[in-house]
Amino acid sequence: MSLAQEQAFEPLIVAFCCNWCSYAGGDLAGTSRMTYPANVRVIRVPCSSRVSPNLILRAFQRGADGVLVAGCHPGDCHYVTGNYYARRRFSAMRRFLEYLGIEQERFEVHWISASEGSKFAAVMGEVTEKIRALGPNRKLRDAR
Amino acid sequence: MKQLAEIMKDIAAQSLSRGEVDLVIGWQKGPLWWQSYPAFIEGNEGNGETGSLTWDSFCVPNLSRYLLEELPERKKVALFVKGCDALGFNQILQDKRAEREKVVLYGIPCTGLVDPDKVESAGLGRGLLEVKRDGDELVFVYDSGEQKAQARDFLYDKCLTCRYPNPVVYDQMLGEAAPVQPEERFESVQELEKMDADERFAYWARQFSRCIRCFACRNACPACSCRECIFDIPEPRWLGKANELSETQFYQIIRAYHVAGRCVDCGECTRVCPVNIPLQELNRKFIKDINELYGEYDAGVDPEQEAPLVTYKTDDPAAFTES
Ligand code: SF4
Ligand code: SF4
Ligand code: FES
Repeated sequence: MSLAQEQAFEPLIVAFCCNWCSYAGGDLAGTSRMTYPANVRVIRVPCSSRVSPNLILRAFQRGADGVLVAGCHPGDCHYVTGNYYARRRFSAMRRFLEYLGIEQERFEVHWISASEGSKFAAVMGEVTEKIRALGPNRKLRDAR
Repeated sequence: MKQLAEIMKDIAAQSLSRGEVDLVIGWQKGPLWWQSYPAFIEGNEGNGETGSLTWDSFCVPNLSRYLLEELPERKKVALFVKGCDALGFNQILQDKRAEREKVVLYGIPCTGLVDPDKVESAGLGRGLLEVKRDGDELVFVYDSGEQKAQARDFLYDKCLTCRYPNPVVYDQMLGEAAPVQPEERFESVQELEKMDADERFAYWARQFSRCIRCFACRNACPACSCRECIFDIPEPRWLGKANELSETQFYQIIRAYHVAGRCVDCGECTRVCPVNIPLQELNRKFIKDINELYGEYDAGVDPEQEAPLVTYKTDDPAAFTES
């Protein structure tokens, strides 16, 4: 990559946010006029446990440099137990991706409640900067 | 004492002629020394057909998997099970794809099966007619005579690490319990974990680049029991057909993930892969991590237990920072 391209790299972050907590947290960030990087594309899902590994991989295939799943804090899931399952499954998934040589930072999970607008903005900012430092995702991307 | 194969033939003939079962699934010999294929023997044909049943060091195909197709068509099926077939059967039970009372299990204690590749690479394959097991030794039979060798040197890697050579579930056990002496099974996973991310990526990219997406690994697997597989459905089409690394990665990651917590570690996926992709190194990563994070669990041992990824505890640890 040339220096000019490197400077031009703007990471693309896909954030799957559960409808009941994290998406509402994002709304609160917005209505409170907090800023977070425009690199983040939010996709609203019913629950963190709705996010299957298919969706995560598809995001990477189609150009995401980082993927984030955000849900309610454990104990607060709107469907009571969804994020408990998600915690196990994404823990296994995260370690597995790392095992295949994908940098851990590229796939993150965060618990963000509806009242945590500032946390939402802060997490999106941190994730974007981490991925910016890592550079573009070339490992899982569809090269066509 | 009667040879095991003879006992198998008798038992199969009996239960078929008495009408106890309408199908027996076992193994039969193919034309070459290393070929022992699944055998499907139907109806009340008595001894004639069951005469083809065999037991030798190559009866490696995990038969439990065939219940998925056969059981809905049958009243009752008899199945010969080694240790790994029995684990597969229990997994199919746990996944509610078989009814216990529709299956008769004949257990076979297994002392390990022979990997034809190891025979070939030792230069013993040429002119070989038959391989017989004699205790801890193998007898290689040629036109010109016989040759003996330590069996352990020729066993499948998966058999060297096998922890359940004796069936964990059966209706009748045929034979004495086999010794259990497994080698460490996570060694190669640990080696890979020591590499840095780019090395690991290069390793797996090299492996995956050979995958022809024949789906043999899925088709052989007792844990891959979905009626409709995500890789087959046209809409939404999750897996494309292009010869592209990201598509193969998608297949490999999702296949391994779908059996995570349910893989019985029978190693059939690895054995059937025509291009030698070490799929067990993928499955075992999941097994190892799940053991570490959520407690030791051996899929297929107890079908009443819940698989680790379909349950939770409220104080589970996470492999990401929780705040
Ligand atoms: S994934 Fe492989 S080792 Fe695991 S149960 Fe299926 S065929 Fe056996
Ligand atoms: S058996 Fe081997 S080549 Fe066939 S789909 Fe599985 S990994 Fe790919
Ligand atoms: S609804 Fe938010 S994690 Fe389940």
